Formats: sequence, structure tokens, C-alpha cells
Amino acid sequence: MSFELNRRLVARRPSLDTDIKIDAVTASIINGSFETICFEVATHLGRAASSAIINQSNERNASIIDANGRLAGISVGIPQLLFVSPLAVRWGLENAEQDDWGPGDVFVGNDPDYGGGHLPDYTVYAPLFDEQGELVLIQALQAHQGDTGGKDPGGFSVDSTDIFGEGLGIPVLKLVHRGQPRRDVIDLLIRNNRFPSFAGDIAAMISAVQAGVRSLHTLMTRYTVDSVKAAINYNIDQTNSRFRQAVAQWPDGDYPAHVWIDQDTAGNPDVHVQVTCRVVGDQLTVDMTGSDARPELVNVWNTFANTRGYAIAQLASMVDPDINKNEGLFYAVEMVIPEGSILQPAPNKPAALGAFHPAVEVGEAICIALSPILPQRSAPQVYKLGMPSAVIGFNDAGEMWMDQGVDVRASDASATQGLDGWGSMCAGLGNLILATAEDAESRFPVLNLSREMTTDTGGAGRWRGQPGTRNIKQVLEPVSAMTWMVSRKHPLRGLCGGDDAAPYSNFFLFGSADEFEVENAINAQLPAGAVTAYQYGGGAGFENPLLRTAEAVREDVLDEYVSVEAARERYGVVLTGSAENCDIEIDPEKTEDLRRQRVAENIRDSST
Amino acid sequence: MNYRIGIDIGGTFTDFALLKNRELILHKNLSTPEDRSLGVIQGLEHLAALEGKNLSELLRQVDAIIHGTTVADNTLIEMNGARTGLLTTEGFRDELELRRGYKEDIWDVRLPPPPQIIPRRRRLGIPERIRFDGSVHTPLDEDAARDAIRRLAKQGVESVAICTLFSFTNPAHEIRLAQLVTEEMPGAYISLSHEVLPKSPEFERVSTTAVNGYVGPRVSEYIAKLSDRLKDAGYQRHLLLMQSNGGVMTQSYLARSPIRVLASGPAGGVIGSAAIGEAKGATELLCVDMGGTSYDVSVIRKGMAPAQSGWNWHHRYLVAVPMVQIETLGAGGGSICSAASGTLQVGPASAGAQPGPICYGQGGTLPTVTDAILVLGLLSDESDFAGGSFQLTRDGVEAALKEYVADPMNCSVEEAAFDCWRVVNANMTQAVRRLTAQKGSDPEDLTLLAYGGNGPVFAAIQAQELGISRVLVPRTSPGFSATGALAAQPSIDEERSYIVPGTEADVDHLRHLWKELDQRAESYLLQAGFERDDIHCRYQLNVRYPGQNWSLTVDAADVSGAQDLSFAGEQLVEKMLNRFHQLHFSEYGHARTSEAPEITGVRLIASTQIPQPQFTGGFSAECHSATPHKQRRANLGQGYHSTDIYRGSDLVPGHFVTGPAIIEEAFTTIVVYPGWNAQLDDAGDYELTRQTN
Repeated sequence: MSFELNRRLVARRPSLDTDIKIDAVTASIINGSFETICFEVATHLGRAASSAIINQSNERNASIIDANGRLAGISVGIPQLLFVSPLAVRWGLENAEQDDWGPGDVFVGNDPDYGGGHLPDYTVYAPLFDEQGELVLIQALQAHQGDTGGKDPGGFSVDSTDIFGEGLGIPVLKLVHRGQPRRDVIDLLIRNNRFPSFAGDIAAMISAVQAGVRSLHTLMTRYTVDSVKAAINYNIDQTNSRFRQAVAQWPDGDYPAHVWIDQDTAGNPDVHVQVTCRVVGDQLTVDMTGSDARPELVNVWNTFANTRGYAIAQLASMVDPDINKNEGLFYAVEMVIPEGSILQPAPNKPAALGAFHPAVEVGEAICIALSPILPQRSAPQVYKLGMPSAVIGFNDAGEMWMDQGVDVRASDASATQGLDGWGSMCAGLGNLILATAEDAESRFPVLNLSREMTTDTGGAGRWRGQPGTRNIKQVLEPVSAMTWMVSRKHPLRGLCGGDDAAPYSNFFLFGSADEFEVENAINAQLPAGAVTAYQYGGGAGFENPLLRTAEAVREDVLDEYVSVEAARERYGVVLTGSAENCDIEIDPEKTEDLRRQRVAENIRDSST
Repeated sequence: MNYRIGIDIGGTFTDFALLKNRELILHKNLSTPEDRSLGVIQGLEHLAALEGKNLSELLRQVDAIIHGTTVADNTLIEMNGARTGLLTTEGFRDELELRRGYKEDIWDVRLPPPPQIIPRRRRLGIPERIRFDGSVHTPLDEDAARDAIRRLAKQGVESVAICTLFSFTNPAHEIRLAQLVTEEMPGAYISLSHEVLPKSPEFERVSTTAVNGYVGPRVSEYIAKLSDRLKDAGYQRHLLLMQSNGGVMTQSYLARSPIRVLASGPAGGVIGSAAIGEAKGATELLCVDMGGTSYDVSVIRKGMAPAQSGWNWHHRYLVAVPMVQIETLGAGGGSICSAASGTLQVGPASAGAQPGPICYGQGGTLPTVTDAILVLGLLSDESDFAGGSFQLTRDGVEAALKEYVADPMNCSVEEAAFDCWRVVNANMTQAVRRLTAQKGSDPEDLTLLAYGGNGPVFAAIQAQELGISRVLVPRTSPGFSATGALAAQPSIDEERSYIVPGTEADVDHLRHLWKELDQRAESYLLQAGFERDDIHCRYQLNVRYPGQNWSLTVDAADVSGAQDLSFAGEQLVEKMLNRFHQLHFSEYGHARTSEAPEITGVRLIASTQIPQPQFTGGFSAECHSATPHKQRRANLGQGYHSTDIYRGSDLVPGHFVTGPAIIEEAFTTIVVYPGWNAQLDDAGDYELTRQTN
């Protein structure tokens, strides 16, 4: 639990020891098998788990890690988190001897100071040994738990000043010994969780990694241990070299960017993430020196493992999507993450909310930095909400319920060159299946009143950001409601001359005489009938809006993504008619005049 | 003497299976994309001629025509459906576009959006709100509704999808909206969500209803046209249509939810597989259908192909009606092979039917799987190949493999061909594993049943990769979906939502829901000419643990004949919850017996029996080795060797072939890989088994 430990955990691990030469095709077949096994493991958990955040929202990520602690394969999940598990497993590996690792064992870890993500992200993992008893592979599975036994339900405490307020930290714990569940240990975990559904989730995680180990064993028997090892070496080297080939095409230079977060949960303003992407030949270095390190900051401390995962996930989205996702990405990219900063905190800092911010800002800053040289693949893989509004109440039996607010919405779906933002969120979150009104209302005393996109909230641009939704929700019983707002002051940034997205806003007691806007973190008591109205920010625009074709703007106005007024103000397109009457037409002369005038103004502005 | 006819219209061919007593007569002719019913009539005329009759004589003697159609799929592929509008609860107009957040590729920021079947300007919210218990929170604002309908009319909308929140518990607002649409836009095609998919949640329901609205007019028009044409030609019975759940139903049943024919073509093959497997004592089957562009995999358990509703994505839209689960992979004979940066890629890009593989000699220039297996010698360009049914060419094949695969991968053409074979094999194996993962079954316990033109080329090697030791290849394999359609039975499979903790479930309400479903099914089946006595009802309950999202379906009772809900007594729920614990344990390896499960709804599958082909099996014929027709140099996974070639037309029941060998049938090739044997059973179908050393 120290910076020294972090340095040890991320030290480059060697290739697996084997003399076998493997051909490209067999190596790719074994890689495909890894992806399929990860899919099987993730599907098993999704089907069997009992918390909505796992079985609906799909916050579960399976990965295969080799005996040297290297990421060998992943498949579905949340990209950022798929890259996180190796460090937690490496801590387990360091202790393998004293913890008496053997066939049939299953472990869990969640501690950010021992390679983990934030506390709710439990990594459950199980080793696979060959016939000589040598460790070959580890099946890992990370999933977000509904609670962590901290001071507040759900594991997010807006006012926690250290990690102990957030819940139970587990560097490594053996859950199953040689195939026998350790009931005492599992009971301890269950006792330290508010929700009875946790018992089902942990049982499902254990049975899922056990199924993964069985599949890996079959694969190992089919191809031999040495071939599997050689395939892992080959695939990791292949990824490393393909990523480097891509970097070699980029112009050498320093590409800096910084991103601001409105404030921490205590109101300390303008938390910032600084990134310089340095390209020299085929070497990319992501240097985060200069990022905020104010010791008084509260709840904006990203875990070290997450910082690395978010950086790599953004970079993986900016190269050919066919490049296999494995340790080779970490081989290809140097990262400088200043010790003691919000991106590699000193031990015992709270970690829950830091996994949102500044975590996503790492990816956003990398995207902004590289957007001038990679315009076709620059879309920030982020979620700029501070946290969803969670509402908590008690049923007639006195049991606690929580609507975690992972509702259907549009937010932060940004444009990239040649493609408007679309759908609900960025591509990377495309496995996060959002909760529905009909399901939520059958479970909880809430009423979803609206979740439509709000006109003009997407950033204008030659390619337009998707508008954000306004989610209006009424609680039918008294509840406590918790949230944290960012991106009101510093919304998602437009790229290459595109407009920023509209800022976020969130009103409690909406529509009543006591209505107020949530300006920062809040944990409020709401009476029955209270309404909250959460405006999500839209996606960012890409390139100058004056370059968007007038016809595309007309279509946008017909669809009410854009208003007639914004068409004129932001795009310089003069329209007649109204969307209601379906008679929007372009006034070509006025549009030409206006656009000419705007271009002149732009030139004048940029020269002053 | 009466006939039954199965018809399957594919992209290239229309397949016919005529059942005459126990004899099955197959026919294939080219599809007629302009008006597909024309190709049907042509084929029927051909069959009539074979029987020495004219068309109307034949049709008067036909008891049933069973038809699987791809018209709904084609409408979505070609994006030429009806101009559709959506009326929905105010505040919820964007669900269709937001897709619960789902995107098909989490790594590709350049993935384009799906084409909008209902753009936002035609998705309009109406002030109204019903709560989860069916109570009205906000009454329907009729003035606002009329304004919205007029706004749709102004945009030339022909088809209106209506989906309001919780309409499956109280459909009053949807029904009233439909009346207003009829008043304001007479003649508009209307799809009501509580009819198309009466269950939660809203995204699944609105998407299914929207797709129904989009494809419905074309599907209905097509069915009506075909039905009229058949009637004019002398057919006097109901046209029966394959549904995606593997059952068949009449035009009148499908009128309100034609979406149920989506993806029904492949379903016919799966149902046929179940029937043929059962005849051969194989009730746990892995069915693989490899044609020109795709590889379809499905699993049959206990002799049945269970249909699942819910998260079924087709052509980038979610369609949640019950569907036989078929995993489709872009791997067929036409899949294109290419190499980039040291990685060999096979499919999903396809040369399709036109221009097709290079070896078809129709202008194809990119190497495909078929070209690779020609180089491997699994297929041949000799004039007597496939009984002379078609001739392949080697012209340009090797040059293209060299340019696109061998040179970039730095290997020889023959090695490149072999690598293509390995990669497509591996891709297919992964697809199987993904499907069986979702089903919770282990492929090793299954028998593999292969069909489609290319299925039997890969079947045995696939089986070996998956640990399967028995493979069946029906002789009718190339046109198997039409034969399969004959095995499908009329069935209606519907659900109703009822979300309640198991301990609080009201048995009277369960009975009420089942009764309603039963009466609905009965009315359609009677109308189709069936007797109540012949109706078989399978009552089921959907159950999950508190907090779970996915329910498991638990059988409550099977009842034949008159409606009888006496099984639904006071003990029913307790019994069902126990069954659920057991089922959960067998599916997921653990059960949470200390928790009270939650009921999420009821389901009823009402079916009836119609005569079907008598599939048979067995090995009573005397066993003797077949004689090869000749030898050819071929690579069956262990390098090039002189390999025995057999002519399918030479083989009769009892004949035995030891691998490595190749059997050439018209329209398909069966590869008997090293370590495998093939034998013809009494029905003339092939059974391949692992050699015991």
C-alpha cells in the first residue's frame, strides 16, 4: 500500500516461458476462444446475478490473465473497466505462496490501494493449473456491487474523506479453497452489505469464474499448455506492434490538453486533469504531469488502476478497432502518472466517486489532445454526469430499496469527423443496458414523467452532438436522494472547432415553490410527490457548425434536435416555417449572407 | 389421396417439399424477387406436372400449404417499409432511438446509427399516463392526440404504431388512440403494442411495435397476394405461415402482428431438425445451416427448439416476440477471405449469390471460402462433380488467393487455402460456443445435425472441435427448410405480464390470465378449422429471484382438449417456485432457496397437430462397404493425400464409408474427415461417427 507497490504492480511483465513457435492462425483462434470464454463468463453472471446494476446495466467485465499477470483476453463489458483487473490479480499473485493457491481456489479483491478499482468493483478470480501443478491462467471477473458496507448505501458517499467511510476494503481474500466454499468468509462479506441481493451476486460471480476455468482447461487440453502460452505471447506482441505501427503514422510532437471538473464534493473549484500526448516515432507517451494534487480535495481521487484503464480505453477507441485488446496496449504506451496527484492518490483516499471524475477526464483530455491528428476517431469515451441521482427508501417490511438512477437517457454521445453523435451514450458504454420506467415503477414507488431529448443540447458542429435528455422523475413516498453535479460550469468540450455540449443541470422539488438547483453534492430528504429534473449534457460537436450543410440543419430542425433559432444562431442557416407544421424550408439567400457574415466575424475574432 | 406442401423462399432459390403419403418429393427453382408469389406458382406447376396433373387439380387435393417467408427480413434489409409514425406517452418519444443504450460495437467509434424506421419528427408524445397497476394517472388528452395524428397525416404517414406505458395492464388509451387514428386517417395501418407484444418493458415493446408498423403493410400485402393467387389457382384451405417461434398460423391470426413472421425461414429448418433428430433417437441437437452468406446455429433440447422472447436483435432493431434462438454468423460459402497486418479475416463480407465465389465463374474476383475449399480439393472442378448438377472453374482462383491471402501472409496458395478453412472453422466454433453459453448447455452432449449447401463440408470437423462424436446429415439437406416447414405445427405462443412476489401471487389472477390467453388461442385455432379436442395447451410461468432481470420459464401443466385449469389450485405457486429453484440450479449451478422468487408473467403455448412427414432412422439394412467412384488429391486437415471420392447416387441404406473420404451429392458435399466413418441409415440419411481406435 504505497507508491512503491504501484510501481511494482505495473512493472513490465515478461513473456511466458515456452520454446514453441506458433503460427498466426492458431494464435488468432486461441484469442477468439479467450474472447468467447470471457463472453460466456460475463453472460453467466448477467443471467444469474440479482442486482439490476449487473443483470440489467451489464456492469460486469470478464478477463483472462496469464501467470505473469498480463492481460491475455477480454470481450464484452465496459472498456475502461476491462483493463483494470490485472493489477488486483497481480497483488494476489504476489501473495500466491503464502495464500496457498491451488486448483479449485477462488479469490476476491477490491482495494484501490492494492491494484483495485473503486470499492464497489469486486474482482473475483480463479487460477488454472496445468498437470504439473504450474499456474497457467487466471479467469477474472469484475462487477459493480450494489453496496460496499460503508456509511452510505451504494458505496458512494459524497462527504467521505477517506476510504474507510466508503466500505470494506479487501486486498485479497480466498472465497473457495480447493473447490470448497469458505462459508465463514462469504458470510462476512454478505454481512457487510446492505442488500440481500448481494448473496446472489457473489454466488453468481463464483460460479461464473469456475465455469470459465473449466472452459480454459478444455482449451488447454485441446491445444496443449505450450501452444496456449505461445499464443498469448504472440497475440500480446502483435497488439504491441500493431498499435506502434499506428502511432508511427502520427506526426511526431507534443499534444497537450487539459480538462476542468467543476468542483469536488466539498466545493473546491476547478479540479483539473492535464495530459500531454508525446509522439516520437512509434512511441506514444501519455504524460499526466501537471494534474491536480491539492491535498484538500475531497472525492475526486481516481484509483491508480482506473487511471491506466481509462487512458488505454480511450486510446483503443482511436485506432483500428480490430486490434486485439490485451497487455500489448500497455507495452505500447508509456504512462507518466504523477504520484500523489488525483490520478495516483496517496493511500486511503476515498475512491468511489473518483472512478467517475477525474477518471473520465483522463480519456477526454487524451481525446482532445489527439483530435487534431486523429479527427476520424476522436470521440470522447466519457460520461460527464457527476453521478446518477440515487433515491433510497424503505418498504413496508422495513427493507431498504434503492433506485440507482441508471435510467435510459441520452448523454455525451459526441460527433466525430463524418459522423453525428447518435444513440444514448458513447460507443464504449454500448453494453451498459439502461433501466426502464416500466420495470422501475413495478419495483419502486417512483413515476418517470419524461426522458426525452431536449432541443439544442447537443453541441453544434459540422457534425452534431446528440442532444441530452431531461429525465423528470417523481417519488411517491418520502426518500433520501443523493447526487453530485459536475459539467454545469465545464461542459463536454467540442472538438476541432465544434461547439461544447450544453451543460448539465439538476433541479430538486422541480415545479414546486421550493424548487432549487443542485449545485454540487447533495444528500437530501425529499417528501412524497417531490419531482427531480435531471438535464443530461448532450454530445459535443465536431468542426465549425458553419460548415454543416444547410439541408442537414433543416433535417435536424424537422426532427427538433435543433431549433429554428439555433439554426440561425449557431449554424447560420435561415429557415422558414415550423417543425409543428412540418414546413421547414431554407431561405438560401439569407443563409448565404448570414454564413458569409459569420465567417467574417470568426476571422475578425481570431485575429484579435 | 391428399398432399401437403412446404415452401421456403430464399434469396436465390425457392425450395418445395411435397409430401405424398409418406413420400417426400423435393423441387427447387429460382426465386422471383419482383413478385415472389410468381416463383411459388411456377414451382407448384412443376410439382403438378410431376404428378401428372394440372395446377388446380393438384391444389384441390392439397390439405395444407405451409410457407416460410423472408419478406419481413427483406423489408428491413432493403429499408423500404411503410412510412410509419409513432404515438406514445408524452415524455417517451425517444426510446426507440436511445435503444436502452445498446450499441453493437463497444470499440468502434465510427459505427453508424441504424437507419431510422421512424425518425423523430414522426414520433409524437401524447399527454396520458397509466400506472403499473393499470390505474389512470393522467387521462388521455384527445385534442392533443388529434393534433398529433394530423401532424403525422401531413407527413404522408401510412402506418401508425401506438405504444403507451403500461398498456399491457390497461389498453384503454391505446384502443382510444386507434379509434382517433381511424377517424383522422382512414385506411392507415395500425399496430397496437398491447396486441403486438403485451408485456414490459417499454423499449422492447415500442421497438417491436414500431418494426411491426414498418414491415406490416408489406408482409400483409404479400400474404394476401399469395393467398389470393393460390385460391385463384384452386387451393381451398388456409395458407399456413411459419412464425419465428417455429410454429405455423393463419393469415387472420398474423393480421395484427405480422412481425411474428420475421426470421421464420430458418425456423423451419430448426423444426425439421427436431423432428428428424427424434426419429433417429437424437433429442439433444446442435443444428448448423451453412449456406452461401451465413452460418445459422441453433440448439434443440429434449426434442424441442425453445422460443425465447426478449433481447432478439434483427437488422439492428429489437424484436421481442418469441423466436427460435438462432445465432447467425457471416460465414458462408461466399464469405470473403482477406489478410491485413498479419491477421487473416474470413467474412462477414460476402460475395453473395452475385457475383458469388470466383469458382462459380460469374464474375467474382475476391477469394471466398468456396474457392479455398476448391483449392483444398474438398470440391472439384471436374465435370462430373455433384452429379453434374453444376460446374466449378479454377480460373482466377489461385491468383486471387495468392494476391489477397498468400502473399500478405507470406505463405503458399495451398497453405493460404488451408488457413482460410481453419479460420472459418474457428469462427463457426466460436458462434456455437456463444449460443450454447446463452443456453447453458455443453456442446459435447449434443448430436450435430448439418444442412444447407455447405454445412456438411464442415460438419464433422466442427463436431470434432466441439467434442461431439455423432453427426447427422439428411439427404434433403440443401432444401431442408422447406421440408422442415412440413414438420411445423400450428401454434400460438403468447405471454402476459404479472409481476408479483411469489408469496403474494393470486392464483385466481393467474387463472384469469391463462384463461384469457386460452380463449384467444382457441378462437384463432377454431377459425382455422381445428377442433377444440385437438388443441394442446402448455401452461407456463415466468419466474426469477428478486432483483434478477432475466426470468426462467417453468412448466406448470400440459392439457389436451377442453379447457381445464384444475391444475391451478392453491398448491400451484409453491410447486412452481420449487421447480424454479431446481431449474435455476441446473442452469446456473446455484439456487437461492432461502429467498422467495418473484413471478413475472404467464405464458401459454397452444398448439395442435397436423400430419407431418414420417421421418425414420435405424440401421436394419445390411452393412457393407461402399466402393469409391475415384480418387482425388485433397487436404482434409492433415495435408494433401489421394482421397476416395464417392457418388451419393451410388449409395443405398447400409452403405459404409471410412474416412478420409468425400461424398458428392447433388447440391452438397459431405466430407468424412480422418478418424470419422459415414453410414447411410434406413431412410438414406447420413450418420457420421468418430472411429473408435
